[in-house]
Amino acid sequence: MIESHERVKMAAVTEEQFAALQILLKASSKDVVRQLCQDCFSSSTRGSSKLIDSTRSNLSVTSEEAAQLICSLHNLTRHIVYRGLSSAEEILSLFPENFHQSLKNLLTKIILENVSVWRSEAQSSQISLPRLVDMDWRVDIKTSSDSIGRMAVPTCLLQLKIQEDAALRGDNPVISAVTVELNKETLDTMLDGLGRIRDQLSAVANK
Amino acid sequence: MQSLNQLRAEQFSALTDVVFRFLMEPKEVERFLTQLSEFATMNEISLGPLKNIIKSILLIPNGALKRNLSSEQVRADFIALGLSEEKASYFAEQWKLNSPTLTRLAIGQTLMINQLIDMEWKFGVTAGSSELEKVGSIFLQLKLVVKKGSQMDHIYVELTLPQFYSFLHEMGRVKTSLECFS
Repeated sequence: MIESHERVKMAAVTEEQFAALQILLKASSKDVVRQLCQDCFSSSTRGSSKLIDSTRSNLSVTSEEAAQLICSLHNLTRHIVYRGLSSAEEILSLFPENFHQSLKNLLTKIILENVSVWRSEAQSSQISLPRLVDMDWRVDIKTSSDSIGRMAVPTCLLQLKIQEDAALRGDNPVISAVTVELNKETLDTMLDGLGRIRDQLSAVANK
Repeated sequence: MQSLNQLRAEQFSALTDVVFRFLMEPKEVERFLTQLSEFATMNEISLGPLKNIIKSILLIPNGALKRNLSSEQVRADFIALGLSEEKASYFAEQWKLNSPTLTRLAIGQTLMINQLIDMEWKFGVTAGSSELEKVGSIFLQLKLVVKKGSQMDHIYVELTLPQFYSFLHEMGRVKTSLECFS
């Protein structure tokens, strides 16, 4: 059902969608509106039947209306985050002139409260190459081998925990662990490379 | 050992050189065999028996390496096996000269599992995305080349700036820890 209201990526919010937002006037309290705004931002809840059901019973509306409202709120919040709007004037100016005045103010207030959290959420869930989640290391001393009876050679085990793609993560992100062994020379070379990156980064920062 | 005792001193030292060159570069089997056959022709020795002798000689430095034997112990081993004192001393002397390098080589060849071979990197700034028109966050991408058995595995990973700094910091700690033990 919600497919018919499928958003066009980050397109401006349509008049029809603003009209659907006025369904919020049926909400019993500001907190209901606030909670709904927060739920609708997340892309995973878009089209979720659970959210549609709870909205339908909270606002006493039809499933059709609930779906329209969720889709509209999602588009509005996503659009604001996409455009990086961060002042009340910028957000208020999005609404059509005939939009319910106090609902407009309430939505703007709620959005302003959440916009920075949403922005970092969007940033951390954007597509990426496999990303580093965690790392651990261990230093071993090799004391004996098939070719040498006694020795004391330090070596390093490095484990990288890598998450395939944050944007695709559901409740169970796929994390794989890669363990590699480095001897002292390799470690020195690696640190050399990392040091060069750091130098370049600070050069960029100082510009 | 009797046939080794029959060699003249300079012949024995030439043969010892060949043996040590092979120990230093064990991959150069071709060269080693060529040198042996040249040695055989020059000194009019038949190649087959020479190869057998060399095979047994090679066992001694390999065993010595495994057990960290001193040159004195190597000398004693040769004498016990029936080599003349003079030749045993010469070989032990050569062992003394070459054993540190041989040990280092053997350590370098110690089994490593998932050895890190190479790392490539790039960093840059994310300008925008489908969710955010303007982003401006710094990313760093690494490609690690890891040797898994005979094949190389490529691992790609992306780090944010704070992750990069903490990664660098951790690797610095690893270095300190490694240096404590070497």
